[in-house]
Amino acid sequence: MKDMTTGGPAPSAEDMKLIKKFLEDTTLFLGPDPEIMQNHDLMPRSADEEHAIANVPDTHTIAKIRDRLQAGCDEGYEMVEQMGAAPGAKWGDVITGIYSASGDLAIASAGGVLLFSSVVHHPIKFIVKNWMNEPTVGVRDGDGFIHNDSRYGNVHNTDQSMILPIFHEGRLVCWVASTVHEGENGAIEPGGMPSMAESPSDEGLKMSPFKVVENYQIKRDLLTFLQNSVREPKLQLEDMKVKLFACLRIKQRIEETLKTDGADALISTLRLTMEDVRAEVKRRVSEWPDMSVRTYIIQDSTLRENCVVKVNCTLTKKGDQLTFDFRGSSPEFTNRATNTILGGLKGMLSQLFLCYIWPDLPRGQAAMAPIEVITDPHSILNCSYDAPNSQSLMSIFTGFTAGQHAVAKFLYSCPEKFTKVHAPAFNMINTFIWGGVSQHGETLGNLCADLNGMGAGATSNRDGEHALAPIFATMADIGEQEVNEEDVPFLQLVSKKMTRDAIAPGKYRGGQGYTMMVATKDSEQWGFMTTAQGAKIPPIQGLFGGYACGTYPLSKVQGVDVYDVMLNEPEKFRHSIEEIMNEQPFEGARYTTHHMGMGFDISKRGELYMISQGAGAGYGDLLERDPVGVVKDIEEGLMSAEVAARLYKVVFDPATLAIDFEATEKARADERKARIARSVPYAEFVKGWNQPKPPAHLPYFGCWGDDVETLYMGSPDKTRRGDEPKPNYMVHPKDVRIAELEARLAAAGVPGDEKQ
Amino acid sequence: MKRVSVDIGGTFTDCFVVWGGRYIETKALTTHHNLAMGFNEALGKACKVLDLELEDILQQVDSVRYATTLGTNALIEHKGPKIGMLVTAGYEATVPLSRARGYGEGLDDMGKQDLPNAQRPDPLVEAHMIRGIRERLDFEGKLVMGLDEEDVRRQLRELVDRGAQIIVVALVNSVVNPAHEQRIEEIVLEEYPSHLLGAIPVILSHQVAGRKGEYVRATSAIVDGYLHSTMYHALSALEQNLRVHNYEKPMLVIHNSGGMAQLNSTDALQTIHSGPVSGIGASEHLSLQAELGNVVATDMGGTSYDIGIVVEGGIKHYDFNPVIDRWLVSVPMVHLVTLGAGGGSVAAYDRMYKTVKCGPESAGSDPGPACYDRGGMKPTVTDADLLLGYLDAENYAGGSIPLNPRRAKAAVEDALCDDLDVSVIEAAKLIREKVDANMANGLFTELRARGYDPKDFTMLAYGGNGPLHCCGIAQNLAIDKILAPPLSSVFSAVGAGNMHQLHIHEKSLYMVLYDSNTRRIFSDYERFNGIVAELKERGRQDLLRQGVPAEQIQHNLELDMRYGNQLVQTTAVIPIHELNSPSDVLQVINQFSTDYGKRFGEGSQAPEAGIRINTIRVSSYRQHETVQFQNIKPLPKPERSAPPAPSGHRTCHFVGHDEAFETPVWARKDLDPGVEIAGPAIVASEVTTFLVNPGWTLVAAKQGATWFLRNEAPVTKH
Repeated sequence: MKDMTTGGPAPSAEDMKLIKKFLEDTTLFLGPDPEIMQNHDLMPRSADEEHAIANVPDTHTIAKIRDRLQAGCDEGYEMVEQMGAAPGAKWGDVITGIYSASGDLAIASAGGVLLFSSVVHHPIKFIVKNWMNEPTVGVRDGDGFIHNDSRYGNVHNTDQSMILPIFHEGRLVCWVASTVHEGENGAIEPGGMPSMAESPSDEGLKMSPFKVVENYQIKRDLLTFLQNSVREPKLQLEDMKVKLFACLRIKQRIEETLKTDGADALISTLRLTMEDVRAEVKRRVSEWPDMSVRTYIIQDSTLRENCVVKVNCTLTKKGDQLTFDFRGSSPEFTNRATNTILGGLKGMLSQLFLCYIWPDLPRGQAAMAPIEVITDPHSILNCSYDAPNSQSLMSIFTGFTAGQHAVAKFLYSCPEKFTKVHAPAFNMINTFIWGGVSQHGETLGNLCADLNGMGAGATSNRDGEHALAPIFATMADIGEQEVNEEDVPFLQLVSKKMTRDAIAPGKYRGGQGYTMMVATKDSEQWGFMTTAQGAKIPPIQGLFGGYACGTYPLSKVQGVDVYDVMLNEPEKFRHSIEEIMNEQPFEGARYTTHHMGMGFDISKRGELYMISQGAGAGYGDLLERDPVGVVKDIEEGLMSAEVAARLYKVVFDPATLAIDFEATEKARADERKARIARSVPYAEFVKGWNQPKPPAHLPYFGCWGDDVETLYMGSPDKTRRGDEPKPNYMVHPKDVRIAELEARLAAAGVPGDEKQ
Repeated sequence: MKRVSVDIGGTFTDCFVVWGGRYIETKALTTHHNLAMGFNEALGKACKVLDLELEDILQQVDSVRYATTLGTNALIEHKGPKIGMLVTAGYEATVPLSRARGYGEGLDDMGKQDLPNAQRPDPLVEAHMIRGIRERLDFEGKLVMGLDEEDVRRQLRELVDRGAQIIVVALVNSVVNPAHEQRIEEIVLEEYPSHLLGAIPVILSHQVAGRKGEYVRATSAIVDGYLHSTMYHALSALEQNLRVHNYEKPMLVIHNSGGMAQLNSTDALQTIHSGPVSGIGASEHLSLQAELGNVVATDMGGTSYDIGIVVEGGIKHYDFNPVIDRWLVSVPMVHLVTLGAGGGSVAAYDRMYKTVKCGPESAGSDPGPACYDRGGMKPTVTDADLLLGYLDAENYAGGSIPLNPRRAKAAVEDALCDDLDVSVIEAAKLIREKVDANMANGLFTELRARGYDPKDFTMLAYGGNGPLHCCGIAQNLAIDKILAPPLSSVFSAVGAGNMHQLHIHEKSLYMVLYDSNTRRIFSDYERFNGIVAELKERGRQDLLRQGVPAEQIQHNLELDMRYGNQLVQTTAVIPIHELNSPSDVLQVINQFSTDYGKRFGEGSQAPEAGIRINTIRVSSYRQHETVQFQNIKPLPKPERSAPPAPSGHRTCHFVGHDEAFETPVWARKDLDPGVEIAGPAIVASEVTTFLVNPGWTLVAAKQGATWFLRNEAPVTKH
């Protein structure tokens, strides 16, 4: 192997030893450890675990203890959900769990965000590796560690963990931890997920795992520092306490088990639980057919500019090995926030298995442990230390969907199913992130719970459910506006109304999204941002002939105070984006549409911001849809009569919606014939369709065609090899705009010095 | 005291008559087409015991009280009118989307986690019957957009044209300003006057639920509207039946709030689950009379295990957003948790963990456990109980269901023995151990989540399978006292006989007791006191309307409070009902801090983040004379007597014991109060089996009460 540092020949083993010692003695700081961060499998059995398993091997005893520990984790989860101040805590963006002494997550709370299952173990392993024997830190009974920097674990920097070691007679037997999506973290924009971040320095608090609790007390000096570093000092305080007390509650349960059953029983239970789940996953995978499925998802922006960003996926199953190969996906953006660390992607794939494929499996790290994930280094799905990742959800969600789309083909062919074969769910956080000073004078920064209302994909036998759940959690809540309005100075003037024609058709249609229209009312310091893709290209794919969803742009109306309109000229107000944007009822106002990556925008009273939650994908051929279902969709406001007739070829009376079944059958037969008439032989199609390179007019990122080793970087002439990282800078959108204006000035013959 | 109380369940109508010093328990099958028939039959049986005519009894009793699960059944069976609904424009999909999570409300964990299979229940209001009205109020009730009355009239006509039989109105922020909802009601009356054909009942959401939350309030109003006519007609028929039989006092209906009211002061929504809630009421009453201290009431039947908590000091545990059938609603309901564990819970091999799993799948009553011989092929808890020797195959359920041990054996063998490599008996023990552990875990979590320690509780065990499994469950906890309560076969009816007239009124509001930004303590005493006075007055009027003398009306004040922006609102019971000084406010803050610390851990409080009141709640009540139980305490050990000779012996196997026990069997009716029996032992009655595990002692008490006492100090398993 070539030495990357010197470029010279590889040194001898003895030299390597010396170099290693030198490097250890001269470590600048303990950054994220690739050995920890790249590995999502279980740690090898420790001697302690071997010993414990030999002493307590009985599966029934272990089952009893596991159930008790599970109840303890669930109890801790409920505490966090109940006591937590962060909106994330209230909708279950939480995990509480018990980790082995080596740091593997053995038993986790059953509800909430399961993607945590695969990512929360990394910081504990960092503590084990670096702080256990570090004299200036150490790990002792009564200690608690805090962490949020995703480069050391977790999904993104909005997630904060509290981690407590559990000792028994002086021996570290396990860890307990509680993780919550806190939102605000002092980043360049409020809410904790800045899309404006151009480097990690813009992403707010970056807590590598450090000790913040001693003797079960939060250290006031460190707490003050953290409160001083964020916009919501109350939230920081409240939720640190909440997480600490949830951990203490789980600790009680563990201590009771230690008292009655002993440390070996606990250690054996934690280890065997993980090993049993891992073995079961291998067994289930082995029943899938041996084959490969290729798919891809397109991201249509970096949240700063429109572009075409490929998430490429080949899923291969052979024997009991399942491999997600994401090579060929876009290179990382050096100064854009949509990159993800690899752990985040794996976490979301773990979510896929635990919610959408094998929902009966227990929550923990083991379900994902035996599944292989391959990516290019410094790619959008496996970004480097220096790349921002605060909007990693864009990439992990599209990565998830690529996986969900590919897996459906395997499930369809597998005799033993644990749930339904289904088309992809909608995958973007179409919601308003907000911040500023509330009507009560409080500084707040967070988001609307509407992100939890993603439409479900259709299944093999029925339509998808509207606004069912976010792809990252079950039983999540889109909340009550009356309660929200007490705290924030804006109203959702339209809160939950189905967005007409924003559909994903199919034999079974996807579950639909709903409209949200907000306007600030009682604050002069308030603003919104949105962070989603899919305004121009759908971020999901349909299944077996079903369609993807529509596209969902952001619409704004400025130069109006709709509260004046509603009070004084109420007849002018409309309750749908469609009507407001088409009819433009407020004179003098400015009506605009945008991609969904709106940076933090200070809003004036009464200006409208309008978005729609998205639909899950459709399943099966449109022409097979029951005409009764089509008409029902019209009646329920999901679809206009024109669109229904055009897409589904259903013939009905527009006034009464009475279906003419005979005419419908004929229209569909005609359409089938027309399809045949439009078709061309495959070779001919390929010849006419395929291009050797991406088009020059589109900023395209990722592989093109079958060559996954060459990654395009925004133009047909700019490439890198998948395994050879290169910087990939984007120009600041303002500079792009300035350049455009300067070009226009130059074209108009204005002398350069007058530009000033 | 002379009193009749009745619990009308899905299968049986239970009747409890107190006649002076006599207590009569009777049962009849519930007659769904006319509830009065079942009632008359059950009461008729009591008449025979007392040798009196129906009319004589009804003329002399101080009250007739009804608890019923009728509403729950109507919801499950989806029998109700076509509802038309008016909501604030822009909120038309609020109900259909059910806060997203609505797909999983009322389901078990697997149902909640399996997203591809997730499906919302069939709606009570079809999506096209929900119409948006052009109006809007803000969180303080201030006008944002005036009510468009023409819009109301137009939408209303369309709904009626589409067949609406009842109109539900649920507008945003109507609890802080009901003006728009009230005006809509007037418009409905203008359009469809009550004296004309086609008059339509109107349900206003703010009258059904007083708390903020447009979705839960809307579902509350919908459920109320859905059940309105069913409940009204059924209960009116009952009242009419009473009138025919010379009962001239008002009929009292048990509420799920743990109180009761006259029919004309009862919402349909308040009657849901009133049967099980009455069981908790009976537990509370028993706890007070028998000085049991903290009690956890458990009711184990064929498919479910219900848990309720009664603690000393009068703190009531409510669910303010309970799930009724599949619907999240807003109504203060006595807290009840139902676990999917019962005699019908199905056991299966857990391939992953190489052990036994049990539930949540249930064989129910049809086909039922394999031993029922009705086609069930899967092993259940009841099959295990039979194989372990606890059940009498000939006399199960009073002999009404003959059990077939061969079926039970075959089912256990097929499903478990080969995979586990164990004998049938060992497999049955594993089933038993697993289901008891499941229930213990559920019970433990339930208590711990509220800050209680199980070892400080007495377990009440009732329901068909309660006394059969209670020792096994308690063994997993540190509970060392179990009481199978007196009059257990009609326990909910007994509870109904002890309720007080009660009305709860509450108001959502934004009230900051400590503002951490300005570091100011609340001082708007007038506002607080005004709201409390208003809520008290509403409760007072409710009771005065029912003829309660003013001097008998009492009130309790509760505040739902929170730190900072928490979700949870911890309820604090406040002894002072008026705030007049900073020290009063601090007293409230301290009370909240104490209650919060007990629940979540001392030190977990976060007053630095600010302290708010979200809801003020006043319970207004009139205490009624209660049924006096005889002394059911277990006699001190030296005073206990030996049992008579057992009626037989059965070979029984117990978890934790390798050897089988020749276990003596008694009939419960043969055991006089004070009799003590050391486990292992079986005591059988017509309705249940009392299983005394090794290490436990049964002590018979008066009125059929039966104690299980642990012989030695327990070892905490949790």
